[in-house]
Amino acid sequence: MKRLQIILLLLLSLMVCSAFAAPGEALRYLPVQNSGRIKPYDTFAKEMLEIVYGKPSFEGRGATEIILTWMLSPTAWENKKIFEVRNHEVLKALKLPLEQRYFAGQELFANEQFQMLQQELQAKRDSKEKFTPYFQALQRLENQLGVFRGIAGGHMLNIVPPKEGTTWLSVADLQGPQQEAFMGLTKSFVDYIGAIAQGVSKEQATTAGQALDESVLKFREVAKSNNPELYSNDAKINTEVHYNHFHPFRWAYILYMLASIMLLLVWSMDKPNLMKFAWILAGLGFVLHTYGFGVRMYLMDRAPVTNMYETVVWMSWGAVVFSGVLEIIYKFRVVFFAGTLGAMVALIIADSAPAVLDPSLQPLEAVLRSNYWLTIHVMTITISYAAFFLAFILGDIGLIYYIKGEEKYQAKLQIIATSVYRAMQIGIAFLAPGIILGGIWADYSWGRFWGWDPKETWALIALLGYLAVLHGRLGGWFKNFGMIAAGVITFSLVIMAWYGVNFVLGAGLHTYGFGAGGVEYVGAIVLAHFLLVVYASIVRKK
Amino acid sequence: MLQPIPKSKFKAYLRATIKFLSSLKLAVIVILSIATVVAVGTFVEAKLDAAAARKLVYNTFWMYSVMGLLAINLIAVMVDRWPWKARHTSFVLAHIGILVLMAGSIITQRYGLDGSLRVAVGGQSQYVILPSETDVLVYTTFDGDRYTKLAEKPVDFYLNPPTAEKPMVVAGYTGEIKFVDFKPYVIPARKVTAPKELNGRRGAGLRFQIQNQNIKVNVIEWLVQLRPNHLVTHDFGPAKLHLGPAPEKGNGVNEIFFTPQAGGDLKYVVYQKDSEKPLKTGSLKEGEVFNPGWKMPIEVRALRYLPEAEEDWDLQEREAPTPLTTSAVKLTFNGQEQWLILNDTIKLFSNDIVYVVSYGNRRIDLGFPIKLTKFTMDRYQGTNKAMEYKSNVEVPDLGGHLISMNEPLKYRGFTIYQASFEENPNTGEPTASVFSVNQDPGRWIKYLGSLIISLGIIMLFYFKKKANKGKPS
Repeated sequence: MKRLQIILLLLLSLMVCSAFAAPGEALRYLPVQNSGRIKPYDTFAKEMLEIVYGKPSFEGRGATEIILTWMLSPTAWENKKIFEVRNHEVLKALKLPLEQRYFAGQELFANEQFQMLQQELQAKRDSKEKFTPYFQALQRLENQLGVFRGIAGGHMLNIVPPKEGTTWLSVADLQGPQQEAFMGLTKSFVDYIGAIAQGVSKEQATTAGQALDESVLKFREVAKSNNPELYSNDAKINTEVHYNHFHPFRWAYILYMLASIMLLLVWSMDKPNLMKFAWILAGLGFVLHTYGFGVRMYLMDRAPVTNMYETVVWMSWGAVVFSGVLEIIYKFRVVFFAGTLGAMVALIIADSAPAVLDPSLQPLEAVLRSNYWLTIHVMTITISYAAFFLAFILGDIGLIYYIKGEEKYQAKLQIIATSVYRAMQIGIAFLAPGIILGGIWADYSWGRFWGWDPKETWALIALLGYLAVLHGRLGGWFKNFGMIAAGVITFSLVIMAWYGVNFVLGAGLHTYGFGAGGVEYVGAIVLAHFLLVVYASIVRKK
Repeated sequence: MLQPIPKSKFKAYLRATIKFLSSLKLAVIVILSIATVVAVGTFVEAKLDAAAARKLVYNTFWMYSVMGLLAINLIAVMVDRWPWKARHTSFVLAHIGILVLMAGSIITQRYGLDGSLRVAVGGQSQYVILPSETDVLVYTTFDGDRYTKLAEKPVDFYLNPPTAEKPMVVAGYTGEIKFVDFKPYVIPARKVTAPKELNGRRGAGLRFQIQNQNIKVNVIEWLVQLRPNHLVTHDFGPAKLHLGPAPEKGNGVNEIFFTPQAGGDLKYVVYQKDSEKPLKTGSLKEGEVFNPGWKMPIEVRALRYLPEAEEDWDLQEREAPTPLTTSAVKLTFNGQEQWLILNDTIKLFSNDIVYVVSYGNRRIDLGFPIKLTKFTMDRYQGTNKAMEYKSNVEVPDLGGHLISMNEPLKYRGFTIYQASFEENPNTGEPTASVFSVNQDPGRWIKYLGSLIISLGIIMLFYFKKKANKGKPS
């Protein structure tokens, strides 16, 4: 129990720390209008730097600092390697070294070839053909340039609510007292980062930080006076800054990792008295997981299940719930182990691939603005993927036992095969109604129940795949090994429905989730699992 | 002489057949076949488009047969398990549900309607376009005023493209109209040429240029009359250019009427803003320039003038469709070749008769007009991204109604959904609203099927729980 208290205390102190900002932090809370919503400057800066540089910090300096210096001294940045270019074809076209990944604006945009590439991109745009990865990369490059210039010129940082209309005034539009207040802010910002860079004493740094905070508050007052009604979302702004720095999902996967280690000990070393620690750790992770989910919901006023990142978070949440429920019913241990392990893996992937799984909070496409249906249909389908994911992880565990030696682990394999079967049943029980609900929503808002749209078709194919497995089990063709292998193999259908339609096929009406990237990794993972199944079956036959 | 099959043997055959048709093996084969076929469909859609996937995969004999086999399998397995017991409840419900769902889908496909209807802001329309059905229509006229329908043929050139060897033929009074080639994905560019022989029944064509170096105006366009004395207009914003008969008085806007004269001359009359009187008149020859005399300093040049013009298309073929591609069919008539673009009309001339041929998507008359009084689009703050769009429409009896995303109008058996909109590319002002119009007599059957399937799944867990309770732990 003592350990639990320590963990709780640790968590609590973390949350308290992030609630009271240090001197110099007030700038983070400055409201900015960007891509259709009001967000804290903290989020804005992070997103902009990620667009240009691909990471939320540059040479150890945070985005909030970097972005403002782009505006204050753009020329100082001309020769800094801040533009990330990964596509080799684009680099070849620009005659730049392929092994380099970051480039200076001078190298890219003063390049003679760049203008030709821009024309090529425009021609492609006019042709309205689908973009190949090369053109997507070109588009990103153009966007990177646009963001850098927009910020350097002060057009992109919209920080004063308008007297009329909805478009906020950008730094470049500011006049009179607003401009003065902003000048004051930038002056104390320069003093502050100057003081930090010189390595002054802690007290001096605090004073400079407090001066910056004061000038931010002064600017906020001026901005607010322009239109107080549009400038009154402090609660959400504060929550978002807290969310940006608290990383609830990171804490959740750390706790899940600890829980899964406990569960592995319980399951394979037969140490049942560790079980309550596993429950506590998994429970804490689950609380933080739910908390993060809830915060996203509060910030966007909708269920956070509208892109790959959000569905991965939701799916891993479901994996913990299903494995927990199955643990309570059957006390199999291994299911809960698979659930926490799977949730951990999924959350780590979500946390580490922002280019593919975009964690930013984006407004919805018009067609999705139906909370009720969105929530029910998408959540039902993606929660079914959680059950199939559970079967997939269990299948992997089973395959390892087959490779280690079938005879020794008969009892364990029996349990795993049964768990795979249960997980698949749960998955089907959610996927079938989820598909039907999708049909009802489609009928309600597009006028047809079923239209062979690739997203819905692949969800159906996944369902058919699992139905074939269950019928095969019924017919006695799938014994333990068959179920375990099927748990792994059939999940590739879910990967296709979930990731492949958006990132490989790139067709259909569900275009709002489309993106690019990661195909080679996902393909490699799928292939590796196929090979694992083949290897296990060869080992078994011997 | 054929021996009648003995009753016992017949029964044995029947039993064996049912055994096979109801077997789990067949079920798994059918399930996997459906999955494979539709998976292929999604790749076809990614490569081409949804319409192609439908024609090449989803609405084909193969798809229907494998679905038919599924239905037989589902029925056979239920017959085989007869008499049903309580534990069969979820199995029977799920299977009946799938059959009902399939029946509903067949009814939708046979008797349903799914089309789109475009209404300009302030205008009205009552014709629904069916994107998947195309017709060829041929009309004839002797005098250019009265038209008689010669042929109306539903065609599917996509699946059955005509060729020179196997043309589709429409017999006219004077020769045959042959459809000899089809290209599904082309980007058309208009081409205007002088015909080999003049016949006095074609309209004139004028290629003009409006130019001003200072304010960077440079418009080059064709004006082509459909027939002599037809009025065709190009509106380039601050002024209008017409080719055709000029009125006595102006309309109080900046406009020029170019009127073809017998003998190949081209006369022009210039009107200006806020005045009915002609500002300037004169005649123009190919290559000549004149200044209309408006306040804005522009010059108008006749780049090409054809007293009789023939229109055709330059086609750029594409492998796959894009939003810019359309389809085109080639016709031959009296030794002449011409391309006809989808949803376009061409004229074919013989000595006395003119044939008007059109190839286009089928139009269905709703029986009542839909009037668009207002279209509004809300955008996310500070962006161009659409947040919500809605149409204020008027229909007879009901009067005004608001249709928005996810909030359709149900009226006289049709459901009218907000699908998309068109906007002026320069100003961003919405110009038209596009609705999808749908009539689905199978809807409730499909919903019933869905409900039965869902019940079946719930029952599965209910009985499982009971069964588990019965087991000794």
